[in-house]
Order: sequence, then C-alpha cells, then structure tokens
Amino acid sequence: MTTRLEAPVRPRQAEAVAVRGVTRRFGPVTALEGFDLEVRDGEVVAIVGPSGCGKSTLLELIAGIQRPDEGELVVTGSAAYMPQRDLLLPWRDAVGNAALALESAGVPRREARRRAAPMFERLGLGQFEQSRPHELSGGMRQRVAFLRTLLAGRPLLLLDEPFGALDAITRSAMQDWLAGALQAEPRTVLLVTHDVTEALLLADRVVVLSPRPGRVLTELCVDLARPRVRRELVGDPAFAEFERRALEALGC
Amino acid sequence: MLKRYLPTALLLLAAIGAWQAVASLGSVDDLTLASPVETVRALRDDSSLLFDNTLTTLWEVLLGLVIAVALGAGAAVVMHVVRPLRDAAYPLLIASQAVPIVVVAPLLILAFDYGIGPKIAIVALICFFPVTVNLLDGLRGVEPELLKLMRSLGASRLAMLWKVELPWALPNLFSGLRIAATVSVIGAVFGEWAGADNGLGRLVLLGINQLETPRVYAGVVILTVMALALFVLVSLAERAAVPWSRREVRS
Amino acid sequence: MRFALVLMACAVLALGAGCGERKERTGPNGTERLQLMLDFFPNADHTPIYAAQAGGHFKDLGLDVQVRAPADPAAPLRQAAAGRVDLALSYEPEVIRARDKGVDVVAVGALVQQPLTSIISLPDAGIRTPKDLRGKKVGTAGIDYQSAFLQAILQKAGVDPAGVMERNVGFDLNPALLTKKVDATLGSFWNYEGIDLRLKKRNPQVIRVDKAGVPTYDELVFVASSKTVKEKGDAIRGFLGAIARGVRDLRANPKKGLDALLAANRDLDPRLQSEVLKVTLPLYAPPAGRPFGWQEPTEWSAFGKFMRDSGLIQKGAGGAFTNDLLPGGGL
Repeated sequence: MTTRLEAPVRPRQAEAVAVRGVTRRFGPVTALEGFDLEVRDGEVVAIVGPSGCGKSTLLELIAGIQRPDEGELVVTGSAAYMPQRDLLLPWRDAVGNAALALESAGVPRREARRRAAPMFERLGLGQFEQSRPHELSGGMRQRVAFLRTLLAGRPLLLLDEPFGALDAITRSAMQDWLAGALQAEPRTVLLVTHDVTEALLLADRVVVLSPRPGRVLTELCVDLARPRVRRELVGDPAFAEFERRALEALGC
Repeated sequence: MLKRYLPTALLLLAAIGAWQAVASLGSVDDLTLASPVETVRALRDDSSLLFDNTLTTLWEVLLGLVIAVALGAGAAVVMHVVRPLRDAAYPLLIASQAVPIVVVAPLLILAFDYGIGPKIAIVALICFFPVTVNLLDGLRGVEPELLKLMRSLGASRLAMLWKVELPWALPNLFSGLRIAATVSVIGAVFGEWAGADNGLGRLVLLGINQLETPRVYAGVVILTVMALALFVLVSLAERAAVPWSRREVRS
Repeated sequence: MRFALVLMACAVLALGAGCGERKERTGPNGTERLQLMLDFFPNADHTPIYAAQAGGHFKDLGLDVQVRAPADPAAPLRQAAAGRVDLALSYEPEVIRARDKGVDVVAVGALVQQPLTSIISLPDAGIRTPKDLRGKKVGTAGIDYQSAFLQAILQKAGVDPAGVMERNVGFDLNPALLTKKVDATLGSFWNYEGIDLRLKKRNPQVIRVDKAGVPTYDELVFVASSKTVKEKGDAIRGFLGAIARGVRDLRANPKKGLDALLAANRDLDPRLQSEVLKVTLPLYAPPAGRPFGWQEPTEWSAFGKFMRDSGLIQKGAGGAFTNDLLPGGGL
C-alpha cells in the first residue's frame, strides 16, 4: 500500500542542509562549538548522542527558530519541525491539530481537516479524530504531532525524538511505517533519537555526538539494504557491528 | 451535588442564626441592626419597590460589564501586539487601579449628570482594569515553544493571535471577568451614591438616612446575591467556553 | 465575529443612553421648562411642590417643572450657581456663606420661614436643656455654621465649650445617636428626625436652636443664580406663585398633596410624612400681610451679623436675597 506524504520529489544530488562552524551559547553554557554537518537532498540522517549534547539546539537552528552565535547555516527549501513536546492545542480536536500546518499554509480549515482525516487510520489513530488532546494518551498525542509535521508538506523534516513517548510495540510499528513511507516518497530527514536501533533502521547515515559542547564523534554510513525489516535485521551481523560501533562511540 | 454543598449550607445557616441572636439582644437597637426575620419581612413587604430599583441597578451592571469586556479585550490585544505601547502603558494601567472609585464617580456625575450613562461608565471603568490586565498577562504567558512551532509552520501574526494566543489566554480572560463581576455591583452602587434618581444603591442610601433599617439590609442582601449570581454565571460560561484543561500542553 | 458585533452594538447603545440627557428649554405645548433641585432626598418638607404639581398649577402658569434630588447635599447650591439647574432648595446660612465666598446665588423665596435645625438626644443622655450639655458628646455633620450654632447655644446657657466634645459623624446623624456614639446630635430637623424618632418610640428630647440662642432664619429657601434671575425672572415668579397655590391646596386638603409626594417617592413611610406635614404646614406661611415666600430683611441682616460675629463670613448678608420675584397676592 502506498502512502502519500504530499511533498514534491527533488533531484538527489543537491545539498539540503549545510552547517558550517556553528557555535551556539546560552550564557556560560556552550551547546554547540564549531559544528559541521552536511545533509544531502533526500538523505535520512539520524543524530544520536547523550542528553544535553545540543541535539535539539541543532534542530532548532536548522529550523530557523534560533540563530547561531558563530558560523553559518544554509538550508535549501523549507523545513517542517517536530519538537520533543507534542504542543497540541488543547482547544482543537485531533484532526484540527493535525491540520494546523495545512491551515498555516493557507488551506481553508474544512479542506485541511478533510485532507488530514484519512491519515489517522494509517497511524493507528482511527476513531480518535474528534478526540481532544487531554483525552489522548501521550503516545497518541505524539502521533498526532507527527502527522501535523508530515502534513506540512515540506521537503525537509526535522524530527526531535518523534517516537520517544511511545511504548515499544507502537514505536516499532511507527518506525516501520515511516521507513515504508520514506521509501515511497523520499524526503530529507534529520532525526534526533536516543534509540540506536531506530537510527539504524531508518537512517542512511548515523552521526554520533559528544557530550556538551556537541561535536561529531563518529559518522556511520549505514549501507544496509532496504527495505530494512526489524525481524530480519536482528540476526544480521552487519547490523550488530553498526550497533556495536555506535554504542562504543557513545561510551556504553 | 447536594452533598458537596451541605457543609457550606450548614455554615451559612449557623451564621444567620448568630445574626438573629445578636439582633435579638436587648442592648442592640433594632434601628441599627435588622434581624434576618425583619430583613425577610422587608423583602416581602417592599418587594415591588425593591424589584424596580434592582432592575435599574442590574441594567447598569450588565451594560457596564459588556462594555468593559469589549474595551478591555481590545485594549489587551492592542497592547500585546504593539510592544512599546504595552511597556509604556502597563505601569499606568496598574497604578490607575489604585485610584479610588469614590473620587472618580462624583466627577463623572458632575460632568454627565444623573442619567444611566455615567453609572454604566463607572461600572465599565471599575471592570475594565481586571479584564485588561488579566487578559494581557494571559497573552504574555503563552507557551513560547508553541509560538516557535507556529512560526516554524509559517503562521502569520494574525493567525498566531487568533489561533493560538487568544484561545490560550481565554481562561485568564475569565479570571478577570470573575473579579469584574464581583466589583461591578460595587461600582454601580458608588455611581448611584454620587447621583441618581433610582437604583438599589440609592434606595439603600435613602434607607440609612430614613432609619428604614430592614429595607437597607434587604437591599444589601439583594446586591450580594446579584454579585454572587454574576460570579456563578461567569464560572458557568467559562466551563462552557473553556472545556479543556491548560495542563495538557505542558505534558 | 458575530459576538464582536453584538458587543459593539451594546457599547453604542450604552453611550447613547448616557448622552440622551439633553436639556431642552421648552417643554410640551410651549411651556417653559424649569429644573428644580431639592436640598436633600424628597420628604414631607417638599410637599408644597408636589401639591402644586398635582393641582396643575405649574401647567396653568405655563411651566413644566422637573424635580431632582441630589445625593450630595453640597450639590444643589453648586448646580444652581453654575446654571445647570434653574432653581435649588438650600438653607439661609448656606446661601449667605456661599455668597461670601463668591458663589453667585440669590435666595428668591422662602419655603420654610423658621429654623428647623435642632439638638436631638435620647432620654438616657439626660439633656433636657442646653445646660445639660456640659461634659457631653455632640455629633454634627461637620458644617461650620452648625458648629457656630453650638457655640452660641453653649454661650447663652453659660456652659464652657471646652467641656463639650463635638464629633463629626457625617450626614447620618440618627444612626450615630442610636448607636450611642454621641449623646446628642445637632443638625437634624425637629419637624422630621424628631418626629421620626418619636414615632419609632425612642422618645427624643428636642431643643430647637432658635429657642436656645441662635437668631431666627429661613430654613428652606429657593435659590437661583443671578443670571437665571435676570433671564427667567417671570418664570420664577410663576413658579413661586404655583407653590403658593400648592400650599393653599394643602391647607384645604393635605391628603392630596401627600399622596402626590408618596406616589413619586415610593420609599417613603406614609405615616411619618403625614405627621411631618401636620407640624410643617404652618411654617410655610409668611408674616401677616406679606406675600408667600417673604424673606424678612431685618431678620436676614440680624442673622448675617450673627454669622459675621461668629467668624463665618467677612461681609454681611446684603444682596443675599430678593423679594422681587414673589407672587403678587399673598396667602
């Protein structure tokens, strides 16, 4: 079954994101120092690192919500940012929240809701379209937020622990779904996650960051064949090797 | 529901009982303190007189409140959007709440005579500030992450205001309205004391002067009930308009 | 959006209601409109006005009279002087004092020809004559000439003023008396508060100020600014004539005027007002051979002297009143 994500297909060679020598400080604390990163168009990059290493700051810088103190950021095309907290509007129902990005793009409310509704089923949220955020579990809220991000229809997705609040079963279901969706309709994705397995499942490249101030410790080019099926990967020695290297870099 | 309010009802009955006891003391002149029994009697005997005057005061209160909400909400939004204006005007807004209405009311009556207009203006004035200040604080307190998200989604300033900031601040507006509801009645009474041809506040003043003590107490009871009813109405309106709990966004 | 429109409509309505108080010079059928502000809340002292209204006398004389009550006792003089009302009711001492300060008002006719101000106390205080005021607390409304009354009374009775405490209790004299905050009050009217307390079985002791050492004066007078006197002299004369007829009607049939008063002021106690009217009716009458509203010049100048001697005014009472607008025929 194909899944439409409503984004234009772009040529693969172009550079989507370029981060050069970026430094970001908050008073005495330096979140990022002299940070470099390049993301090619259509690439899925997972960013893994310990808490406080500046992962979220990096995403916000790329999203344009923060400005660097030093260095430069070049982002081609617009980005849809999904923050760690779901930030659903409590006075709107689930569909209303999911449609928020479309409305902001100028789509009339009724039309936006009409486009958003069918996606609920696919994310396992069928029946809950009219529910209010306070009636939903944390995991459901996060999925609605995720849907909101997707429906923005932007070529670049910045996802900050998009499945962090989900239980293991739902999480793996969502990971499989996203992997499938990206295969059908490629987008440039920058994914921040704690979960190494998730990173290896979804990403073309895994970037491991050091503790604060964040720097790139290791980059792993994950050349495992797609589609990546969790069941099969578990026994795959190549997968285990990547996992070992990533965990080693993290110091575990 | 009944069980929840039983302790309150009992306490109220006890208070009324104490009131009756004190009023029945020989040492207390019945012209200075009316007992609950006498008050109820006055409510019955003077019912048509009280009713007509209550209507006048109620009209002043309701219109004044409506104007206060309209102007207050407008002012809060403008001050929120135009930052330099807010910085300049906010301290003045707070300070002006300190000006006693007892002073302002006679000035308004002097300028605009005895019609119902000045009374409505006084109520509006006294209710304007809690509404404005509370709504403004609510608008200021919108979760910054939420605003960042909206900005990243490309929402215009107007969209942010209409879709996020105002709905967010709605509970604050109701907080201000609750305060306004309770002081609105006081405002109307002060306005009538400064100059009026009818109204419950004026009737109470006359009653004090004419030693019609039970009537005075009856009037005060009605005024209290009026303020209480307005308060309850606002709370009910809030429950209908703001069914969500703000806590949810903080998850 | 609909809600916003409703709000705006309400705002406009409210402002409109407030601005609707435009004063018109002519009433219905080309009658001349006069605004009268009473001295205080309406009561039986004002019955002649309501009697004149009920008897159609204002209409007969081509007048449309609007009666207003002030909430602030200082307002009537101010409003008359400013021309915001054409006529007001005030007190002779008040008028003299105001003129001394430069306020432009003139007394055009006396409604009540004697003082009503009294010292009132309850039996417990044991004040039967002014001598008994020694060592007592007297409550006043803080009016300077009433304090002067007290001083004059004490002087005449030979009581040392230092031994009498004067307290300002605002305008609610009776409550202060009943709660025993003071032993006696000065400023209530013997024909009103005195009777009220008597009817409520409090057995008050009443000492009239003019019987205790204060020279006589007109307690209630109609006043107008000199500008209004010049511009509306004829209307004022008609007004006073109508009042005179009202008093005449009251003599013949007090109940009619009383009913008119009570109909316009439903908060009044009928029994009290009836008793008040009974004792007040004779007080409207001018001296023999004089027209209604006559203000006796010798009395006014004697009172003016009293006020000057008490340090209340600098000049005298000259020009404070005029009898020129009194109706032709007396009562």
